[in-house]
Amino acid sequence: MTLSAAVANPSRQTVIPRATTASLADFALVSAAVGGGEAAFRELFRRHTPHLLQFVSRVLGKSAGDAEDVVQDTWVRAYPALVTFRNESSFSTWLCSIGLRAALDSMRRGKRRASEFLFEDDDAPVVLPHHDERMDIEKAIAALSPGYRTILVMHDVEGFTHEEIASQLGIAPGTSKAQLFKARRVMRALLTGLEKNDA
Amino acid sequence: MHNEDQELREHELAALAALPRELQPGDLLEERVVRALRSAGHLGDARRVKQPWMQVSLRIAAAAALFIGGVATGQYMMTRSDTNALDNAATIRAANELPTGSTMQHMKAVKSDEKVVAEREMWL
Repeated sequence: MTLSAAVANPSRQTVIPRATTASLADFALVSAAVGGGEAAFRELFRRHTPHLLQFVSRVLGKSAGDAEDVVQDTWVRAYPALVTFRNESSFSTWLCSIGLRAALDSMRRGKRRASEFLFEDDDAPVVLPHHDERMDIEKAIAALSPGYRTILVMHDVEGFTHEEIASQLGIAPGTSKAQLFKARRVMRALLTGLEKNDA
Repeated sequence: MHNEDQELREHELAALAALPRELQPGDLLEERVVRALRSAGHLGDARRVKQPWMQVSLRIAAAAALFIGGVATGQYMMTRSDTNALDNAATIRAANELPTGSTMQHMKAVKSDEKVVAEREMWL
């Protein structure tokens, strides 16, 4: 069976060998997985889960173990929505947007809207690390409040634009920009404090 | 000055760029996800991929069953209303054939008169 025939007939995708699925583009794998192709889905999972897990883990500010539950939730949400994937953005970006919603839901716990809980603790005083505690940039990001952390990870780490962040979080682009500047200031304070402590 | 504070510095950019972009999941996560999708009926054996012609046939059969069911129900309802109408007519007819209250009173009066006549004949 040729690749094009395999993609055209999703019901036969389950028998595509791993070596074949590995060479398929994301969109072809998505088409095959929509038809119930398990091999295609597993290939998508193996290809994109490491990045998704890292992204979700950073947004949550938690360990990979906690983030794995959110990753599972993300894939369970993403699978029925695969039919809506139009290949206009990269599959990774599309998946991360679903992962972000799953992570926000995980953090929300009863709050009505993402924007309500994301920025409610942002004015709280930042707990600077203890003098003998070394904090790298990863730990500094994890120490940020959820709102600062989410926007900083999305913009400065993942490269989302303010318009994309605003769309994902249901806020104005100006709010995203303002929160990013505050997040950077807090992160800088965390890191500078450390530099002084290290000196 | 404010903008300079807001922009990332070179060493911060470098630190952010050096952050790992991937984190390897545990060995069991893939199986957990596949199992969750299977139990939700999305993937593997639990998913029944129906052929288009089969779906069309099923839809036609369902529509035909609905139509036949509707016709049968309509006929049943009509038959039932006819039977009820016949029953009602029979009941009315039977009621007309039975003696009415005034007829009974009339018969009682006649019997009473006959009794009076018989008693008078006894005395005479």
